[in-house]
Amino acid sequence: MQLSRRAFLAATGAVAAPLLLPGCGFVGGSGGSGSGTGAEGTLTFTTWGTDAELAGFRSAIEAFQQANDGATVELNAVPYEQMFTNIDAQLQAGNPPDIFRVPYYTFGAYAGAGQLLDLSPHLSDGVQDQFTDTAWAAVQNDGSPFGLPHHTDTSAILYNRTLLDAAGITDVPTSVEDAWTWDELGQVADRLKAGLPSGTYPFAYNWQGNGVTRWLSLLFQADGAFLDSDQRTPLIDSDAGRSAVEFSSSFFRNGWVPDTDTTTSSTYAADTWFSGTVAMVWSGAFQVPDADSTADFEWGVTYAPVGVRGGGDFGGNALVATQATGQPELAASFLEFVTAREQMQAFCQAASLLPTRPDLLDGSLSFDVRPETTDVFVGQAGQVQPQDAAQVASPSMSAIIPVLKTQLDAAFLGSQDAATTVTNMAQGIADATGA
Amino acid sequence: MREVRRRPRGEALAAYGFIAPNVALLGLFVLVPLVGAFVVSLQRTDGFGDGEFVGLANYGRLVTDPVFWRALATTAGFTVVVTAASMALGLAMAVLLNSVLPARGLFRSVLILPMAVSGVATALIGVLVFDQNNGILDKLLGAVGLPEVNWQSEPVPAFATIVLVTIWWRTGFNMLIYLAGLQGIGPDLHEAARLDGANGWQRFRNVTLPLLGPSSYFLVVLNVIYSFQVFDIVFVLTGGGPQGATNVLVTYAYDTGFVTRDQGYAAAIGMVLLLLAVVFAVVQWRASRTRDLVE
Repeated sequence: MQLSRRAFLAATGAVAAPLLLPGCGFVGGSGGSGSGTGAEGTLTFTTWGTDAELAGFRSAIEAFQQANDGATVELNAVPYEQMFTNIDAQLQAGNPPDIFRVPYYTFGAYAGAGQLLDLSPHLSDGVQDQFTDTAWAAVQNDGSPFGLPHHTDTSAILYNRTLLDAAGITDVPTSVEDAWTWDELGQVADRLKAGLPSGTYPFAYNWQGNGVTRWLSLLFQADGAFLDSDQRTPLIDSDAGRSAVEFSSSFFRNGWVPDTDTTTSSTYAADTWFSGTVAMVWSGAFQVPDADSTADFEWGVTYAPVGVRGGGDFGGNALVATQATGQPELAASFLEFVTAREQMQAFCQAASLLPTRPDLLDGSLSFDVRPETTDVFVGQAGQVQPQDAAQVASPSMSAIIPVLKTQLDAAFLGSQDAATTVTNMAQGIADATGA
Repeated sequence: MREVRRRPRGEALAAYGFIAPNVALLGLFVLVPLVGAFVVSLQRTDGFGDGEFVGLANYGRLVTDPVFWRALATTAGFTVVVTAASMALGLAMAVLLNSVLPARGLFRSVLILPMAVSGVATALIGVLVFDQNNGILDKLLGAVGLPEVNWQSEPVPAFATIVLVTIWWRTGFNMLIYLAGLQGIGPDLHEAARLDGANGWQRFRNVTLPLLGPSSYFLVVLNVIYSFQVFDIVFVLTGGGPQGATNVLVTYAYDTGFVTRDQGYAAAIGMVLLLLAVVFAVVQWRASRTRDLVE
């Protein structure tokens, strides 16, 4: 017997189809983005975003075009999963968009590789003063700004009021000064563990995937640092580093978090909270609209805990122009326009994100959804220090992230002790930065 | 004489004409990128600008990289288990569905359906089934009094999840090929064997199985190569964890190339993968005695 040609073709086609489909998606994703050498006065802008974020970008673009006669901005919205494979391919091929959106922890990789436009000669005087010192520090490379901080986000704690009430925890901090200390958080977790039904856990931490930078909040709360101000020398092999690893490992040892909460897990912390598996979850403000529409229980928000000091990760995204843009002036003026007070306020309120301008951190911001949560997140963002944000802007951050992920996973599930973990982290960070 | 010569030349030209589009596409989308990847594998580069030529240094690093060896072992183990299990299951189903089973048309369709589902969607279904906090499977195990399994946080069960999901995905395809093979075996051979006194097992072992040689050859090569290239299911279902237990060569190459941005090293991993697939195909080509067996 011989395999017939028809059967072989059918079989080969069937096998090849799943391989081709994602390929189509990739090509399709990059299709509409155009190049930086379009008609004069036209900027291409590639971003991903939630519905609220994209609506915010569209209305900002419309306002920019009205304010600048003859200028057009072409928005190319892509899924987050394709965003940076697209951008990388376009940069490598020499036809990147003029402007794109980038998380602060990825910013350094592009800025350090000479792919972004140094904005110093193109920005208006005094632009720096419009941003918080922390936000400004997050877009610096070699002492120059290579982007403008569009918004930030940082993690506070969302709690399931029903589960907390059931465990007798009714006194939840309502001001940043009253935030739980690490010890108090531990006591709350123990009471929850005792009071919750089996299969339910006190909390989950949102450090999965690239979110491992959120573990750094604990390091900062221990008054530690992972990089020196040269952005190369590892500083994590310290008492603060050991204390942060020890504390976070105790979450697993004490059964305060489900085992699936580890850094390499494919289950996101928020999902375990929505399903009622955990009572509390570390979460950015961006999750508030989802929680409002999805959670079928009563919930509230409180501050992240305080260790030696308060601290948090500087999440969120910058807007950057590419080195290859043919219109640096126009690109810089668009970035300034989008980060101006009115535009930033509208964007942040609609999308539940935190502003990077001090003139919006004075109580004038109010989220469209669950406005009463605004002050908690704004207060939490006030705990983020400039020196903490500056480390995350390191050009080597993309190589540091896997080191943190792997080493924390080994500490959380593999019982690797804190001293070994921070020693390995320091070695891995040194390899990544070439220190 | 001239007549005789001209005709083959014309035929050869026509033949080249027919294969030209395929060769051009293959060259453009397979061979050119392959050569490109090989060149990248000789560089140290983050993907931006010109890389630094480092010769075989990336390959040297592979030799001493424990993560690479572990990923290679995981990939090999995955390949052996998945290929053997999905082919055995595929053959068993094909034999069943080649007989006078009631509603066999329906069963055939149901078994082939997973093939139509993308790998990512398949893996997402796997996440719903194997989620150890809220998954269907652990709830079922609990309901019948069996201990729940930590499918996501323990290495061996996590490895089992990617194997099970891949088998579910691939068995239908193996069945399809075997079914085509079975239908090409004439009833006269079985009849002759029966007259010679062979029982059911003997007929299967000595008539059916050898005549399925070409199908088996095709399936072994395809299954091994696809298992070596497994990515989407692992990426979505386990992300390579817990503690690297399900990290296979392609997820390691992906992380190295697109997360760490060490693209030269990632390309070197890709080259090793290519080499293994080619070596396997050649060895299998030479070793298989029933590859071209026909009635």
